[in-house]
Amino acid sequence: MRAVVAEDLFLLRDGLVRLLEAHGFEVAAAVDGAPGLLHALLEHRPDVAIVDVRLPPTFTDDGLRAALEARRQVPGLPVLVLSQYVEQLYARELLADQAGGVGYLLKDRVFNDDQFIDAIRAVAGGGTVMDPEVVAKLLGRRARDEPITRLTAREREVLELMAEGRSNSAIAQRLFISEKAVGKHSTSIFAKLDLAPSTDDNRRVLAVLAFLNT
Amino acid sequence: MYIVLAAGAVIYCCLMLAWRRPPVRGWIPRVMSRERLREAGLIIALVALALCGVALATNANPWPAVVAVPATGLLIACAPPSARKLIPVALVALGLLGLLLAWSYSAWATGPGPESGTLNPRGEAWRYALLLQSCAFLGAGLWLSWRQARGPALADRRPALADREPRRPRWGLLLPLVAAVLCLLVDQQAATHGGWAAAVVVTAFGLLILVLVPAVAADLAATGLIVLGLLSFLDVITPPRAPTAALAVKPGGPPWPVFPAADRPLVLVAALQCAAVLALGAWLVPRTIGAHAKVLLGREDAELAGRVEQLTQTRADAVDTAAAELRRVERDLHDGAQARLVALGMNLRTAERLIPTSPQAAIALVAEARETSAKALTELRNLVRGVYPPVLADRGLADAVRALALDAPVRTETDIDLPGRLEPPVESACYFAVAEALANAVKHSGARLVQIRIRYSAAPRSARLPAVSPAAGVLRIEVTDDGVGGADPARGTGLQGVERRLGTFDGILAVSSPPGGPTMIIMEVPCALSWPRTSSC
Repeated sequence: MRAVVAEDLFLLRDGLVRLLEAHGFEVAAAVDGAPGLLHALLEHRPDVAIVDVRLPPTFTDDGLRAALEARRQVPGLPVLVLSQYVEQLYARELLADQAGGVGYLLKDRVFNDDQFIDAIRAVAGGGTVMDPEVVAKLLGRRARDEPITRLTAREREVLELMAEGRSNSAIAQRLFISEKAVGKHSTSIFAKLDLAPSTDDNRRVLAVLAFLNT
Repeated sequence: MYIVLAAGAVIYCCLMLAWRRPPVRGWIPRVMSRERLREAGLIIALVALALCGVALATNANPWPAVVAVPATGLLIACAPPSARKLIPVALVALGLLGLLLAWSYSAWATGPGPESGTLNPRGEAWRYALLLQSCAFLGAGLWLSWRQARGPALADRRPALADREPRRPRWGLLLPLVAAVLCLLVDQQAATHGGWAAAVVVTAFGLLILVLVPAVAADLAATGLIVLGLLSFLDVITPPRAPTAALAVKPGGPPWPVFPAADRPLVLVAALQCAAVLALGAWLVPRTIGAHAKVLLGREDAELAGRVEQLTQTRADAVDTAAAELRRVERDLHDGAQARLVALGMNLRTAERLIPTSPQAAIALVAEARETSAKALTELRNLVRGVYPPVLADRGLADAVRALALDAPVRTETDIDLPGRLEPPVESACYFAVAEALANAVKHSGARLVQIRIRYSAAPRSARLPAVSPAAGVLRIEVTDDGVGGADPARGTGLQGVERRLGTFDGILAVSSPPGGPTMIIMEVPCALSWPRTSSC
């Protein structure tokens, strides 16, 4: 699997490259700025890109903008955005094209390499991975809002884990229930969020979007 | 002719008093309130009466009334509120003086003297005119005192800044000279053509100036009073232009005019009234022309002085706020991330020692160290968010407020239209102001919906903002919630802090929060949009 890494701090960039290579990724390019990132993404068309939000030249959200621009030119290009902080606003922008294959995680999550690599693979597979902090904020804010109130407590737990990019088996393991039960909960969530039947992956993306866009 | 003038003045006065609604909406009322127009009309009428008295007494031409009527009207309309407070007192004093003289005149006229016992019919008419006029003065003075005791007119309750006139070019200093020349011209006209055309021209000119530049009108009024007083005085003490037998300088007599004994009190009244007009003019000069000249010459600028005081205060506030903020950051770092890093180092050191002997315990310690480092990161993140939110640095105020609204636990709608970015300090102050208002709504109001509206207008709209501010426009922020209301900025420190913080940028904060709601917080900050937004989203 080919990856592009964009990170301006040398130590972190080097660490990410070594981590990815240790897990069998091929790092096509490791860049330190937004212009280089856009160029690398369009040239290499990687299976996944790992992008820091804050990059040169302006050290604001150049990384995010470059990633969004690349996804505009190459729809569905899988991008995992890393940041020192998470904003729902940025999450919405990443999810706005509804194409899937996006991730948005705090840099801290790199500490737990197994979960981090799982997240990268989920994004590369077209899934949606949101940081637990984003999900927690969403659930807190939406507590009073429709249609989330229609979900049972268990269904909300499932949706939460789904938004974090976990597979059905990972959710089942985490909640100590069977995969079949997770499937039943998912179907119920999709019904309650008025999501029309389609492929399961797409509906998972849409379920997360339903969260963000209500 | 004097009777026609007096009748016109009385009719004008009655019209003013009966005037319930200004016929020209949005033009004259912009400069003068209805109350002030009424007062002006009344005073104009009274002064016209008084000057007719002077003119009758001195048998002079009608130019004093012609000049004084518009001049006095302008004066009353434009004088600062502090000056207008003295008008009723002056009127009452003049009225009492007139009454006293009218009463003593009959005693004089019938007393011993060349024409003792015979009351000259012209003198009798003067006496009635004087009585009438004095009563009018007294009545007007008492009425004005009663009005002032009741409280100032609403128009005078404007904030001080709104009263400030913008700087005028220095050629404005020539205006008093122009006024003096105009007075003399009118005098000339009145002497040769009866004064009506001049009266119309002067009145129209006076009204025009009053509407366009009230401050200049006040200067003209002061100058007019001085010139008028001096000329009237000359008229009183010199023989009339058309000498009558009674007032002619008799051949062989003294070189000054000899007034009949019966007329002397009236001449005295006329002289006193001239003196009063002169005194009023002299008193006004330093308050109108003097003040404006000082401003124009740059010697003293009350507005600048006020601005310096305000800047000193807001600068002190800004320094205090910054210092408090630094203390908070220091404390948070000391108790949070710093302490956790110390614990992390200790854990790692212990783990290092435990590795050879009990690797299991070492692994547990390393896991704990990792957790501690994650916590330290979280704390640092929260701290950074409190110091300068990253999204604000990345995207500017509009997106930062949108992000704030997304994170709020209450449904929050945003309606933001900002065509560019603000200066970073203003942006930060506005962001924290919105954050504080939103936090208040969430914590105290029990609101179900909060609406945030942000607009930028290129030219300063609000008169409350200082004219000397270099800002190109005004940022207006409205935070409205449908909660219980009753918010009082005087009680909580949060909104006061916001007010101080915005004050550094000449911003203002207004709270409308009746019990039962809704609460509306409006902030206005004069500022410039520095560069266009580059966001592609």
